[in-house]
Amino acid sequence: MRDLFIIIKKELTELLRDKKTIINSIVLPTLLVPILMFGAIKVAQMIAENEQQKSVKIGLVNAPEDFRKLVVSDTLNEITSYTESIDFKTLIDDETIQTAIIFPIDWKTRMDSMTTSEIQIYRNGTKDNVNGRVSIMMEKYNALLKKKRIAQLQISTERLTPFRENYIEVGEQKELIGKRVGGFIPYLFIITMWGGCLLAGIDLVTGEKERKTIETTLSLPISKFTVLFGKAVVASLLGFIPAVLNLIGLIVGLKFIDGIPDTFKMAINEMLNFQSITLILLLLIPFSLFLAGLIIALVASATTFKEAQSKATPIIMLIIIPLILAMMPGIELTWATVFVPVLNIGLGVKEIMAGTIDMTQYAAILISLILFSIGAIYISYKKFSDENAILK
Amino acid sequence: MIKIKNLTKSFTTKTRKGFKKEIVTVNAVNEVSFECKPGRIFSLLGPNGAGKTTALRMIAGIISPTSGTAIVDNIDISQGNDEVKKRIGFLTGSTGLYERLNPDETIDFFGKLYRIPPSKLNERKEYLFEKLGINEFRKKRVGQMSTGMKQKVSIARTLIHDPEVLIFDEPTSGLDVITADSIIDLIRESKENNKTVIFSSHIMSEVDLLCDDLAIINKGSIIYNDTFESFKNEMKAKNLTQEFINRVKEA
Repeated sequence: MRDLFIIIKKELTELLRDKKTIINSIVLPTLLVPILMFGAIKVAQMIAENEQQKSVKIGLVNAPEDFRKLVVSDTLNEITSYTESIDFKTLIDDETIQTAIIFPIDWKTRMDSMTTSEIQIYRNGTKDNVNGRVSIMMEKYNALLKKKRIAQLQISTERLTPFRENYIEVGEQKELIGKRVGGFIPYLFIITMWGGCLLAGIDLVTGEKERKTIETTLSLPISKFTVLFGKAVVASLLGFIPAVLNLIGLIVGLKFIDGIPDTFKMAINEMLNFQSITLILLLLIPFSLFLAGLIIALVASATTFKEAQSKATPIIMLIIIPLILAMMPGIELTWATVFVPVLNIGLGVKEIMAGTIDMTQYAAILISLILFSIGAIYISYKKFSDENAILK
Repeated sequence: MIKIKNLTKSFTTKTRKGFKKEIVTVNAVNEVSFECKPGRIFSLLGPNGAGKTTALRMIAGIISPTSGTAIVDNIDISQGNDEVKKRIGFLTGSTGLYERLNPDETIDFFGKLYRIPPSKLNERKEYLFEKLGINEFRKKRVGQMSTGMKQKVSIARTLIHDPEVLIFDEPTSGLDVITADSIIDLIRESKENNKTVIFSSHIMSEVDLLCDDLAIINKGSIIYNDTFESFKNEMKAKNLTQEFINRVKEA
């Protein structure tokens, strides 16, 4: 144990004296979430403001006066009137107009006879701002005409409204938001954790080979397992610390960044309480050790940083895919998913944040992660003991 | 004392040719036997790729032999690598130093793992730092040091636990004459202190200066093993370098 601590201390000292490690494992993870949140909010606000100020060029054919008034009421709309239906596709393609609304010639007759007519709307499906604004306009006009007809027919509104839907939310706001965004949080810090473990793992094994110090380390009167385990613990710490800093960044970001809806803020604050953070961090300890063991096993035979990166990087797909699955709404934490690494942690965190975690399943995830980490350390030890690989 | 008997190391490499897997086994060291006595300097010479480093790595307990025995300071390396490692100071071209530590931290790290009591560690460290002239750069990170400075720290790291057996593989390679001389001086001092020393070098003048016993290894096998005096007496060529080249070519 004493030797292990000496190894851990030395490896940590070495790693923390590397600027690259400091930036990737401490500075970036702390700032990443607040910057992402701040950036996303600002960008969304800017886009929304920008879109609202944009004018929409509308082509109208046979438009009735009441509709024309409705269009003109939004001063940002630019109207071009056409007497007949022409090649609107070309006009939209060359951006002469952005949308065209064509009323039939018998519009007035149909409206007077209270029958259904058809309005043709030429549009480009990719122009969300234009289409959204036109849709709102059409809904407004439809509602206006309906109101007129109801008044004409002298029918009370109640007769045309057999029922109103009144949803009473029984789920807590925390549960609702937890299930919806809870999957995104492990995605964020597990990717950071992977990055931290990867950099440290490569530096501690392949880096030692590149710097010609692996033989020096192996000449020490301590077992290869102690050396390997020391390296794995340090690599896992360098993965675990950024994940914790990520969480801290999230909490701080929520507290200080403006523009986040209050209900969302309150729900996230409620989710990230002492109990849920402890439960999440407890899962991350064996998981970071599992990642460190896996990475060391993968890079043990690599002789250069580049080779190590190319060996370990593709594995990220095995992390991303289960995490994306965990974010999908239909996938729940069950006894089948409890033992699938990465997916179980993604789903587990989601349940913890929603406050609906089943503690038996939580224990099963924890035990399975411990077993997986033992397995990964054993494999990495086997690889690290392979003379052909380690002294290459 | 080091006693090596029939020491063999085989490396197996697997290569794929399409769907076929080819396994090739090469004996890097083939049934090597020799003995190094305390108070004497044993030179192990050989061209690049002869199996010198592999043999030294086996003696130092870094890799395990495929067959044969090696007894280092009365301990069979197959009985416990860690015990052998405690008794050896191992320095080769591939035993670099941790670049982000300074000499003080480096020596403390090794000293602690060799379980040297703190006061003794400090005393020994100060002695070696003074002897090798490390004091002026003891707080400088290894990564910022010159080759000579690094080699001095490497020597201090090798000697910190005052081992009974010392293995030096090219200890003066790339060093200026002054630094090389201080290292040669330390090797001599180790001999005077009755240590068992294996010294390997391509610089024949250094071999001539230090060597008591000599073995030449080529293609994994020992082709000469006797005292250096006998070697010099049997010499047909004009100088040591030429004699070494001739013997390797003849083998």
